[in-house]
Amino acid sequence: MIKSLNNELIDQITELFDAQLNYPVELVYFSKKDQCETCDDTTQLLEEIASISDKLYLRNFDIEENSQLAERYGIHLTPGLVIAGRDQDKLIDYGIRFTGIPSGYEFSSLLQSIILVSKRDSGLKPAIRNQLKELRKPVQLHIFVTPT
Amino acid sequence: MISAEMIEANEFYELAARYNVRGVPQTIINDNAGVVLGAVPEEHLLQEIKRII
Repeated sequence: MIKSLNNELIDQITELFDAQLNYPVELVYFSKKDQCETCDDTTQLLEEIASISDKLYLRNFDIEENSQLAERYGIHLTPGLVIAGRDQDKLIDYGIRFTGIPSGYEFSSLLQSIILVSKRDSGLKPAIRNQLKELRKPVQLHIFVTPT
Repeated sequence: MISAEMIEANEFYELAARYNVRGVPQTIINDNAGVVLGAVPEEHLLQEIKRII
């Protein structure tokens, strides 16, 4: 099978992860056997990324066979990805989701999200954080993006 | 309190159409209560969140 990532890119990501990853990260990934055009490519891409660092754990669930788990994470579409922190055998859900294949421009967003979760730090300015702490109602962001 | 879902608009164009997505990136806050077009500084996003909440 042709790899999604070429060797040069793998080297770059290896260097990035070596420098930036701290705490373990779990990629809770939901795919579907049929009627999912980008699931196979996404599975391969995530497998290749996860193999780059021993701080990354990939778990691939069939959304139909694991519908309760998918529901718990609010995943309704595939490919659907939760980027969670891992603390011993517990997951820390920061509410970060990717729906659709994270390729093209989205690939760097994916790497960035993995790094932020691994650092357990949003990277936001202190003033912004303080104001966000005062929020008393849930805020749901849907960010529409394209790979190009 | 805050969740963020990145959605590939070509793959899920019906969802994009439902939210009237015209360009990317476009951020929809709480089911179209708020909208942010383009990539904006964090202050700008916060302002829009506070406006609708």
